[in-house]
Amino acid sequence: MPKLTIDGKEVEAKAGNTVLQAALAQGLEIPHYCYHPGLSIAGNCRMCLVEMEKAPKLVISCATEVADGMAIATDSERVRTARAAMMEFFLINHPLDCPICDQAGECRLQDYAVEHGTGVSRFLEPKLTLSKAVDLGPHVMLDQERCIQCSRCIRFCDEVTRTGELGFFQRGDHTVIGTVPGKPLQNAYSGNVVDLCPVGALTLKEFRFQTRVWYLKNTPSVCAGCARGCNVIVGVGQQQVLMTTEGQLDDRIKRVVPRFNEAVNGHWICDEGRLSYERLHAAPRLDRPQAPRGTRVEWEDAVTRAATLLRNAAPGAVGAILSPRLTSEDLYAWSSLFAALGAVRIGAQTIVRGEDDGILLRADKGANSAGVRWILGPDATTPGVVSAIARGEVTTLLVVGDPLDPADTFSLDAAARSRVKTVIFVGAFLSGAAEAASVLLPSAAWSEEEGTLVNFEGRIQRVLRCHLPRGEARPGWKIASEVAAACGAGLPHWASAEEVLRSMAATVKEYRGLDLQAVSLLGVGAPGRAA
Amino acid sequence: MERILTRNVEKRDSETLAVYEAGGGYQALLKALRELSPDQLTDEIKRSGLRGRGGAGFPTGVKWSFMPKDPKKPSYLICNADESEPGTFKDRLLMEKDPHLMLEGCLLSSYAIRASACFVYIRGEYVHATRVLETAIAEAYAKGYAGRNILGSGWSCELVLHVGAGAYICGEETALMTSLEGNRGYPRLKPPFPAQAGLWGCPTTINNVETLVNVPFIVERGADWFLGIGKAPKNTGPKLYCLSGHVKRPGVYEAPLGLPLRELIYEIGGGMLRADRPLKAVIPGGSSVPVLTAAECDVDLDFDSLAAAGTMLGSAGIMVMDETTCMVQAIERIAHFYAHESCGQCTPCREGCGWMEKVLKRIEAGSGRNEDMDLLQSIASNIQGNTICPLGDAAAMPVASFVTKFRDEFQYHVDHKACLTGPRVREFAG
Repeated sequence: MPKLTIDGKEVEAKAGNTVLQAALAQGLEIPHYCYHPGLSIAGNCRMCLVEMEKAPKLVISCATEVADGMAIATDSERVRTARAAMMEFFLINHPLDCPICDQAGECRLQDYAVEHGTGVSRFLEPKLTLSKAVDLGPHVMLDQERCIQCSRCIRFCDEVTRTGELGFFQRGDHTVIGTVPGKPLQNAYSGNVVDLCPVGALTLKEFRFQTRVWYLKNTPSVCAGCARGCNVIVGVGQQQVLMTTEGQLDDRIKRVVPRFNEAVNGHWICDEGRLSYERLHAAPRLDRPQAPRGTRVEWEDAVTRAATLLRNAAPGAVGAILSPRLTSEDLYAWSSLFAALGAVRIGAQTIVRGEDDGILLRADKGANSAGVRWILGPDATTPGVVSAIARGEVTTLLVVGDPLDPADTFSLDAAARSRVKTVIFVGAFLSGAAEAASVLLPSAAWSEEEGTLVNFEGRIQRVLRCHLPRGEARPGWKIASEVAAACGAGLPHWASAEEVLRSMAATVKEYRGLDLQAVSLLGVGAPGRAA
Repeated sequence: MERILTRNVEKRDSETLAVYEAGGGYQALLKALRELSPDQLTDEIKRSGLRGRGGAGFPTGVKWSFMPKDPKKPSYLICNADESEPGTFKDRLLMEKDPHLMLEGCLLSSYAIRASACFVYIRGEYVHATRVLETAIAEAYAKGYAGRNILGSGWSCELVLHVGAGAYICGEETALMTSLEGNRGYPRLKPPFPAQAGLWGCPTTINNVETLVNVPFIVERGADWFLGIGKAPKNTGPKLYCLSGHVKRPGVYEAPLGLPLRELIYEIGGGMLRADRPLKAVIPGGSSVPVLTAAECDVDLDFDSLAAAGTMLGSAGIMVMDETTCMVQAIERIAHFYAHESCGQCTPCREGCGWMEKVLKRIEAGSGRNEDMDLLQSIASNIQGNTICPLGDAAAMPVASFVTKFRDEFQYHVDHKACLTGPRVREFAG
């Protein structure tokens, strides 16, 4: 391990690391734009210039490898002068349109201008005027005037997705980012370029002009779009609370951005996961208990109805079909209910679309497929239940719908519908089997309740509550325990998902000994927990 | 002095292989392949003191010695024929009039660095030179001077001619490689240096045309002969000087390194264009280098003398300006060139070159302010040394030197919204 001194302090660095990485590892931020740990070194922004002993010129810390005995100054007069100069260069042709820029509040230009800039402009000449709204592709817009040409987005498309849609065009201060005609920025990960953009040049069509970033309540969570389980940060709008006197909380998800987890998704997420929240908003929600044809019923009535239907079914005539995106806590609570009822045929859906793309996307869209196998067992499959329905064995069916995508909720075909006499529906959306249900109980959607999911590699990860359940919706585990109580089955009295986890940790082998602290925000993938 | 590099250029059909061979052409290649190992050849070049003629003046033999002796990948030579520095036109003469001399230099140098191919990257505007070289390369292949098993030696080397697309930046060695690979001509970070990872990641040496044409003569006549020309030990050999501007006889002149500047202007170049308009300034090394005032012109044209005078030999593009030259207008034109040619990759050059140009345009148009001269020097100093490649320095150095050395002319523009110099005082509208 090479030892070098940074600002007079001796530090040890990993061999092969750059000075910038060594400094960051010490918690010392050398300002930088073009460097990104997930991309190759470009060295073009020149913001991370530092003074290296015996070097005649300043060196860029992002491209200078550490060496034993190296002496680096990150805050000398020369360095400060150069940094202020770079800030000035960045800003001379920058439109300074922060008041209408989506990046404002999380903009590196703003941050570094305050920290390292001089605060005044010596630039009297007319600024370059370029296009403010270039449509790069289905999700991304470009403001050429705000761009600082750091090339992060280009490198992402070259190196991560290897689709190479983006490139530089023109020369000198007229240099702009762009695509070639007929080849838009259209890959499964295009939204990442927006996160990568250190300024407001690239904006996500779905997020731009929606809110100021400081109105977002950000919650770490895990995407439920597929079996990868990418770590994300969910930003929920809070704007209305502050902007009006109505006191009406906006409380909708405004955006989902990746959260770094080396073991799962690295720095990125796919566009499908990033925008999965749109389906939460778009679909008609089931937000209060209902009897058929939309008749409103009280919670207690609905629970009693469901319990009565289950209890009155003939022995062995109850089936249950569950979404593979339910949290393990939900699955565990439902399976506890089924155990108490006895002889319930249980099936979890398999949702397979597309293919494993070798980057992040998995064909298995069941975010908790592994949890299903651990908790419900390997035989709990939908075809098993469906064939029991076809044989006329199952006549009462409990469907627990998908908490993320209404289209993925199980639905009955005509043949099955003629066989099944009673459907009890629990779900977040009015979709799938809901239309055939005798009683409907609203449950929390993906972002509305906490719990754990198990990804395809057997990694247990936490989903957190980002906002309150819509309407009267309740967490699935709670509904299960209420129905169980109404059935006269004695399930533990859980007050939170964490308590369900505690019960599960005592009985489910793969969860043994785990608590929330052990799972942490980065998940655990202990040996012996293979999916 | 005996003309060496340009000895053939005035011969009839000098570009043909027949004429070149008749003058002893390709004998140096034959001699090297028979008598010298690659390392012996490199040592001979090292001993001769030959320094790169492209601008930086780096010792050629030392550069060659950075190449791996036992490479895991193929090694390449690149002949930098992207002659784009304003005021420079020496390589064009060599390529158009004596292409085989350059090719022999390319082959010898390729042999010295164990290159399996030599890429000639020629400036896109050099259409005639391109045609001449295409023919010459075909002739060389036909006669067995290039390609497989050259002259029966068992050594093979391909010659590839690549025509650039007209960007100044592609004369910078790493941008040239990026361009040659088919990408946008962006300079690369160093390290890695080309000898470690150059063209397609392979060990590569890049030499200027004029550098390479010296090699056959050193092989033929020896390093000691070469050391006898110019100012030993560090400024040896013949040199081509590109003389332009307000002189009677502009052109390419061959003389030893260390030729006194005044001798070039007043004797070789025939003196100032008009006797009644005395010398005002000289840019000695292409537009990238700091300007010399008339009073500073008692200097020899070699790497170290010009460095001592605070400027550079560069590509030896000597631009002579008489007293009618408006220095504000001159530097505005130069600044425009660099703002146009800045590749835009790194921040200081991308933004700074355009800024300097805009300020200079404003002063030239009569809207200058008293602060502008200091501002220009500050922008230049903020660019210099902070960029990926030398283009930033090349843009900043002339601006800084013009403003420093001719500040009174800038001040006159600011104060009077008019120009002091020229045949008549130009009045500005605004």
